[in-house]
Amino acid sequence: MVKIIVCIKQVPDPKEFSKITIDPLRKTIVREGIQSIINPLDKHALEEALRIREKHGGRVVVLSMGPPQAIEACREALAFGADEAFLLCDRLLAGSDTLATAYALSKAVRRLKPYSLILCGNETVDGSTGQVPPQLAEFLEIPHVTRVRRIEIGEDEAVVESMLEYGYRVVKVKLPAVLSVVKEINTPRILSVFGIIEASSKKINQWCVSDIDASIDMVGLEGSPTRVTDVFTPEVKRRCEVFSGPVEEAVGKAMRRLHEIGVF
Amino acid sequence: MPGEVWVYAECRSGRLMDVSIELIGGGRRIADKIKAQLASIILTDNVGYLANDLISYGVDKVYTVEHPLLKLYQSDLYTDIICKAVLQYSPEILLIGATSIGMDLAPRVAARLKTGLSAHVVGLDVDEYGVLKQIVPGFGGGVMAVVTCPKAKPQMATVRPGVLAKPEKTIRRGEIISIKAEISEEMIKARTLEIIEEKPLGKPLEEAEIVVGVGLGGCKPDTFNLIKELAETLGAAIGGTRPAVDEGYIKEDQMIGQSGKTVRPKIHIALGASGAMQYMVGVMDSKTIIAVNKDPNAPIFKMCDVGIVGDLNDVLPRLIEEIKKLRKN
Amino acid sequence: MPFDFTFTPEQEMLRKAATDFAERDVAPRVEWMDETGETPTELVRKMMELGFGAIVIPREYGGAGLGHIARIAVLEEISRISPALSFCLQIVHLGQSPVIYFGSEEQKKKWLPGMAKGELIATCAVTEPTGGSDVLGIQTTAKREGEYYVLNGRKCFITNVHISNMHGVLAKTGEGPKGLSFFMIEPNTPGVKPGRRENKDGLRGLNTGELILENVKVPRGNMIGGEGDGLRVALTAISNIGRPGVNGVALGIVRRCLEEAAKYSKQRILYGKPISELQAIQWYLAEIYVDYETTRLLTYYAAWLRDKGARCDAENAAGKYYSVEAAVRCAHKLIQIFGGYGVMREIIPQRLLRDAEVLCSAAGTQEIMKLVMLRKALEYSK
Repeated sequence: MVKIIVCIKQVPDPKEFSKITIDPLRKTIVREGIQSIINPLDKHALEEALRIREKHGGRVVVLSMGPPQAIEACREALAFGADEAFLLCDRLLAGSDTLATAYALSKAVRRLKPYSLILCGNETVDGSTGQVPPQLAEFLEIPHVTRVRRIEIGEDEAVVESMLEYGYRVVKVKLPAVLSVVKEINTPRILSVFGIIEASSKKINQWCVSDIDASIDMVGLEGSPTRVTDVFTPEVKRRCEVFSGPVEEAVGKAMRRLHEIGVF
Repeated sequence: MPGEVWVYAECRSGRLMDVSIELIGGGRRIADKIKAQLASIILTDNVGYLANDLISYGVDKVYTVEHPLLKLYQSDLYTDIICKAVLQYSPEILLIGATSIGMDLAPRVAARLKTGLSAHVVGLDVDEYGVLKQIVPGFGGGVMAVVTCPKAKPQMATVRPGVLAKPEKTIRRGEIISIKAEISEEMIKARTLEIIEEKPLGKPLEEAEIVVGVGLGGCKPDTFNLIKELAETLGAAIGGTRPAVDEGYIKEDQMIGQSGKTVRPKIHIALGASGAMQYMVGVMDSKTIIAVNKDPNAPIFKMCDVGIVGDLNDVLPRLIEEIKKLRKN
Repeated sequence: MPFDFTFTPEQEMLRKAATDFAERDVAPRVEWMDETGETPTELVRKMMELGFGAIVIPREYGGAGLGHIARIAVLEEISRISPALSFCLQIVHLGQSPVIYFGSEEQKKKWLPGMAKGELIATCAVTEPTGGSDVLGIQTTAKREGEYYVLNGRKCFITNVHISNMHGVLAKTGEGPKGLSFFMIEPNTPGVKPGRRENKDGLRGLNTGELILENVKVPRGNMIGGEGDGLRVALTAISNIGRPGVNGVALGIVRRCLEEAAKYSKQRILYGKPISELQAIQWYLAEIYVDYETTRLLTYYAAWLRDKGARCDAENAAGKYYSVEAAVRCAHKLIQIFGGYGVMREIIPQRLLRDAEVLCSAAGTQEIMKLVMLRKALEYSK
């Protein structure tokens, strides 16, 4: 193992999702005042990387693309035990869809050669597309496997278990490869005090678009073939026919209504 | 005439996945609207009757690719074949079912074709210019976005199972075009060695027609017994909220919601659940939601079709009685 | 005094570590601790592994040197789930403090690295059956015999006595205030007998008990400071680590009271609506909130002063005094909000009250706190 790259993303804390509002004019999400965390599945990816390092050696390097505050996520990753962090931060990257994001990340990864393995969380809690890891692999021209719940590292390859709806498939993949992991893979460690103080002596590098030699027309809004044309909170269109009062009556009325609308 | 609308037909162990059939229903509607042909593309080691099935579900054309190496999903080969076929035939739209394999395949295809892809689509429509409007959930389902891919082609989307309606088979004509797969073992860098199935005991939640959801209000021994009786009477699967898991009344894999399963049953009966968003996102696609809760102000009463305000211990026996009566008639 | 109330990234990460530990590892054990009164030694070990024992030990001796604000954040988060376990941790810090503040270079190098790793856990044994507030009345003696002191006596209400392998003991080497000296007893010293385990009605799962010393031979080099420095050593430790520690634990209790009160009052329906819409309950909620903000500010303010190196005995005492009263007050109000359920063993409010009560005489009674504050109050006469 020479280097394991872990891609992490800073996302809003799911515990505060109910506080998220939509800007009706700009049709964007308003995230101010909401706590940010490292995307939960990325933590599993980082944990797996640390375990692989313990067994097979190598360096664990964290790569993130995000706004300036994402530096906190990088610092936390260092406190968990990563050796070095790279934050891709540039206004030009704003508005990137998964393709543009994967492209930018791939240019950053190319600067981090040589590497043996790239680990990602299978999806984020905000966008939940799960598209970046396979697309990153495509830009890097290396293989990928998604929904990985177990990794066995071999000589130049790994044997992994990739979860299906009911069951899994066993995949032998040549390294370097991109593996995106699910929560079943491990239980992430808890930050330790020693990790936190060690983190302050580790390096966080900030890169912009020119540092990674990326084409401007392939990043940000320009480089995104998809567009978000509208954002809204789903309206719940239910009948909302509620029956109360003495139990016999209420149940009777409810059952009759259910029969009328064809349920029972 | 605009390019074709393609739907990817995923098959495992020689069977078509349900979502691929659903895609034909949705794809047909879209193809008709933009006056295009609907085609399916299928990769397998043995096409057999599958192409004919696809045609009877509603496609005008089936592109088949048959090769022993395609027996199990191999991302390198599948991506290569689909991309080459797309470059050759230039479809307008490509829809793939959002299964675990679909979600492994679609992003790579989209990246190679440098086109746009949206994920877990829950609503699909097309406008008069042929622009596909894709409705996708975000933030655990609390927010919806409408995504389009205005310039790049094909416009790609992965569609969630259960969103589109499965069409009926009819007698139809269609074209079967077999594509030669120019593939070799050397191309495989991520090799699927085998597939191991682990069918769950009992009916999995996602497939049940009726799902009973247990909330904190149902977490008492006698109440839970009543809930079990109701589920048995209805032949329903039992799921529940995170608090119900914490209280030990249901298992982790029965948990429904943001960090659990998503169910799309015909009937969902929420018992003693307040209607917290983290739970509701898992049941929002149910056809009918029935709720029982003793709190008249519980948020769930604004998110159900029929609600009963009352103590579960009083309501459930009567509910069970009424259902048994209906069954007899 | 311009204030910046933001926590540093390190402090935030430390708080997160403590919260994750508390919610994931501690929460499942809380009921067992309260029922059996047993100490979860594997959780104590986990805390040491995570480095929570190293927070106030300076970096050059293998500690984290993260300071007092960081320490309070950790105590608060753990206490929110288990005040008993949080108090255990705070006493681990207390046991280190005589060495940190008054230890010689040799003593620091000898013990602090092991303490930082949690391999050495020390008590701070001051109180005796003859009194805690009346510290000059202690009877444990330390007789000089050549290169050793021989200690005889009995301490009580000593926290962590059964899980510690070292003991910091205050003993009489002479008469009067200058007649007390402080000794560190190393592991496996003969004559050291942890005694009866005390059966408390609150902070159950916190190990407290008697420490019996029978002809314990302690080398001269294990005395902290010189002969007669003992009172200063003990009181400095208690004032700067012990009292703020109680503060942090009480803060966790107050916060938990606020969280439980808010949650329950929104869920509980009476008269057809949530009780959070009833004025009587609203007043309770507002009062608990004020107590929470005040406790929080006092606690972190005193910690901030300490991090700046300022003397803050009065502030530490004020914090302990206020926070403990607030914890008892808020827990009592929480029970009222829960009504009959509030005193049921399976539900949390009664446990919070029992835990808060036990804090009252920790690190000095409320009355002693007033004496400490009095000195500062009188300074304003100028």
